[in-house]
Amino acid sequence: MTAALSDHPTPPTIATTGSHHAPPPLPSLAVERALGRVRKPGRYAGGEWNSVRKDWAAVALKWCFAYPDLYEIGMSNLGLRILYEVINDRPDRLAERCFAPDVDLQDQLRAARLPLWSLETRRALRDFDVLGVSLGYELTYTNLLDMLDLGGLGLTTAERAEADPLVIAGGSSVLNPEPISDFLDAVLLGEGEDAVLEISDALERMGWHRRVRGPVGEWRRGVARAAALRELARIPGVYVPSLYRPRYDPDGTFEGLDPVTGADVPAVVHGRVAADFETHVHGIRQIVPNIAIVFDRAQLEVMRGCTRGCRFCQAGMHYRPLRERAPDVAVEAAQAILKATGYEEIGLTSLSTADYTYVNEVATTIHRLCPEANISLPSTRVDAFTVELVDAIAPGGRRSGFTFAPEAGSQRLRDVINKGVSDEEIARCAELAFSRGWSSLKLYFMIGLPGETMEDVLAISKICRRVLEVGRRHHGGRAQVKANISTFVPKVSTPFMWSGQDSTVEIEAKVAALRKTMHGQGLDLRWHSPFSSILEAALGRGDRRLNAVVRRAWRKGARFDAWDEHFSYERWLEAFEEEGLDPAWYAQRDIPFDQPLPWGHLSCGVTQEFLARDWQRALSGKIAADCHWGPCYNCGVPVATGFECQTGEDGPRQLLRQPEDVEPSGRRWRYVGPPGDPRRQVAGSREVAAHSWPYDLMGTDVQSKNAGLSGLASLVDAAGGESTG
Amino acid sequence: MSESKQRWRLVFARDDEARFLSHLDAVHLWERAFRRGEIPVATSEGFSPRPRLIFAAPLPLGMLAEHDLADLFLAERLTHPDLRSRLADGMPRGYRLIDLHDEWVGGPALATRLVAADYRLTLLGVSPDRLAPAAGALLAAASLPREKRREKRVTAYDLRPLLLDLQVREDEVAAGAADGVGVPAAGLWMRLRNSQEMGSGRAEEVVAALADELGLATAAAVREEETPQTETPKDERRPAEARALTPEAQDAVAPVVEMVRSVRERLWLAEELALRDAEGRPAAPSRLPSRV
Repeated sequence: MTAALSDHPTPPTIATTGSHHAPPPLPSLAVERALGRVRKPGRYAGGEWNSVRKDWAAVALKWCFAYPDLYEIGMSNLGLRILYEVINDRPDRLAERCFAPDVDLQDQLRAARLPLWSLETRRALRDFDVLGVSLGYELTYTNLLDMLDLGGLGLTTAERAEADPLVIAGGSSVLNPEPISDFLDAVLLGEGEDAVLEISDALERMGWHRRVRGPVGEWRRGVARAAALRELARIPGVYVPSLYRPRYDPDGTFEGLDPVTGADVPAVVHGRVAADFETHVHGIRQIVPNIAIVFDRAQLEVMRGCTRGCRFCQAGMHYRPLRERAPDVAVEAAQAILKATGYEEIGLTSLSTADYTYVNEVATTIHRLCPEANISLPSTRVDAFTVELVDAIAPGGRRSGFTFAPEAGSQRLRDVINKGVSDEEIARCAELAFSRGWSSLKLYFMIGLPGETMEDVLAISKICRRVLEVGRRHHGGRAQVKANISTFVPKVSTPFMWSGQDSTVEIEAKVAALRKTMHGQGLDLRWHSPFSSILEAALGRGDRRLNAVVRRAWRKGARFDAWDEHFSYERWLEAFEEEGLDPAWYAQRDIPFDQPLPWGHLSCGVTQEFLARDWQRALSGKIAADCHWGPCYNCGVPVATGFECQTGEDGPRQLLRQPEDVEPSGRRWRYVGPPGDPRRQVAGSREVAAHSWPYDLMGTDVQSKNAGLSGLASLVDAAGGESTG
Repeated sequence: MSESKQRWRLVFARDDEARFLSHLDAVHLWERAFRRGEIPVATSEGFSPRPRLIFAAPLPLGMLAEHDLADLFLAERLTHPDLRSRLADGMPRGYRLIDLHDEWVGGPALATRLVAADYRLTLLGVSPDRLAPAAGALLAAASLPREKRREKRVTAYDLRPLLLDLQVREDEVAAGAADGVGVPAAGLWMRLRNSQEMGSGRAEEVVAALADELGLATAAAVREEETPQTETPKDERRPAEARALTPEAQDAVAPVVEMVRSVRERLWLAEELALRDAEGRPAAPSRLPSRV
């Protein structure tokens, strides 16, 4: 739906009749008893505002979105909010939700032999036609297995009965779905807004939603599973793993992937890009959870994609091309969302909201039109503009913590990872933030980055001390600098995907050395044990042989691996060993350029050649400027996605829709920067994002009580990113 | 703080959809409902002002309600039909507005007028025949010493003066429940005192007292304040595909008295229900004509 439509929020009503397949919901007493014995039963009860309950008999194709993490995390995911509305807007289709049950409910379900149910109508997962699985994080894979098992489905595509739902995965982890390909019937690459409808159309056309009796009285569907999958594989962006077979050379290295006999499938599957991001907003009637969740606020995605080109960042490569919401569309949508949800806070989300061309005017206008609402900016970058912006929209708010992510301690290493920020800039930001009332700064760093030396590691403490000194000048002994250290994980579809992770010994030595230098009042160092990062890297860069490992680990009891209290690295090591594999080989080996990659047949738009060139630039310590303003690096996205890169008449480059695409009149967006914009003179240099932002924020009357920025970066990671398509 | 210009008494019911909300969750839910309905709610004093919606008594997580009360203070006067339609626009799922009437803004706080509450529930794991003598014993007792736990503090108190009436019933819900789960079931009805001095009676405490009387355990009831982490032992092994249970889970499903389908039937205000003093037996309810 568009923003204009929702002048009055009315929860959809339930239709009354129909002849479609409608198994009964689970008995309510059984559900009540199970929920009476678990913590936070509100997670599993449904009944939220804007959740949609439809009459099953009146609806043909039924989706259930299964999110393999707790309700509080999954409900914060914007992709889920979007796709839920895209499907439920069609009267003849429905989408329900299901989240990974916590271990206490898992025990209750297994004891009572109750299947895992959907929140809306409390049907077992196996009663649906399609399970849409959101995979944003490798450490949720075992939760997916639990959900399939508890939902009553066959675990793998080979074990599933003809009548079982299709399991279709999406999200950023599916850029390499090979380690769990056995458990997935199909994978949707890229953004889902258009593709879920195409998949639904195809399945309905084939009769997938119809149930018929088979020769021995068993339930089947209107079309055979294998035939349905072959048909789905013809939809752009859909990858059906079972139609390909991998080859390995004798020493176990991946050699290539071949289509199975007779399969008419593409050699390379390209990710989808939503066609109308600039002008249409999906996800207006966002579900308002009854219990507190991680991002308990309305969300409006103002920009998708990012062209800063940080070399470790998967999302920055995955969600290209960069698209910005037209300001009038954004403002109208924000009003509609606030009205439809009753939320007191709206987040303007994107991978880097301060880069959104219209962030100032959109935030100001939203504030003027909805003075009661707080506005928050979750993902921000290190520069003066960010500080001023946050200060401006939260003048009376808490000044408890401000978060920056310099990612690396030394200038040299920040150039290697292409995080274009200098020590001086960090100090300048700190100066601004401390002077505007914040007394505590949180800085995020990674350890184990490619080419990192001990000197780079120790530079972390240098920059922290420098920032602390600035803070002391403003706040004396009250000033605090908290450094959060995580272990670098090479992600597929980034220039760093060929780079191996440091060994745990190296990581621990680096952290120990850093720890020695980080004593003192006002300095705080936090870091996570590197073992879950090894697993993340191994699963992220893995091949199909890891399917057996995942299954073994799950059988040994692995679940909620992202949660420290449940994670056991020993369990995973055993599982690897029993399959004759080594997680270190997957995580820590530098992959030669000429070696075929197990995920090489899946593309999100940027080409492998571009990534390789950028990796070479990284090795020689050269930065690449933000191509929104700087030169073109020929990343391949325009060719793969049908979007076109155009150089503006007066300098800056930008991505514009191709002229033949239909655009609603008056909404066509094209950036025309203000004359004399200082960014143009410095385009291409590292100073691009520096202190010279043209808007005078301090002169505006923006007011918002709680921008609530502290700790957000870590939560974004935990929730698998906010802007999944 | 905004000045309260009008005070509305909300009479509402809570249905299954909102059953598993804690009191705090419910408060947030109502606040959003007021924003959706664009209702000019007066706010409280303080650093973070909250909308002035005062519940007569928090509704425990897991419990339904048929006649609960709350006072809503408005910063601007609204007519009855206007407020009713604005509430209807954004009413939280699982809550039903039964009645709405204008109260004097300066009147006494709702909670101070509350004297009693009626509860109806089903007990699984015990038959009506077995339960009836236990209920009789509770009513015949002079005192019922019990312990109240709040976080780590334990205080002793007497449940007996809070228990005004207790009846065992063979209702249809109980019979249906018994069929469904293969254990005996009995219906239970009780009237519990709400008192400024003595505190308020809790249905689950009465059930626990009954279970003690019968020598049975109670199933772990859901409590809002509980947030323990049930750690899974690291060495837990899940046999291949066998889906075995942890010992804790087996305990959790062992035969016990279990409270289900619990409903708060009605909250009683002093002017609606005259109670005799603390020694126990309730006066015949003087059901005043409702102001509905």
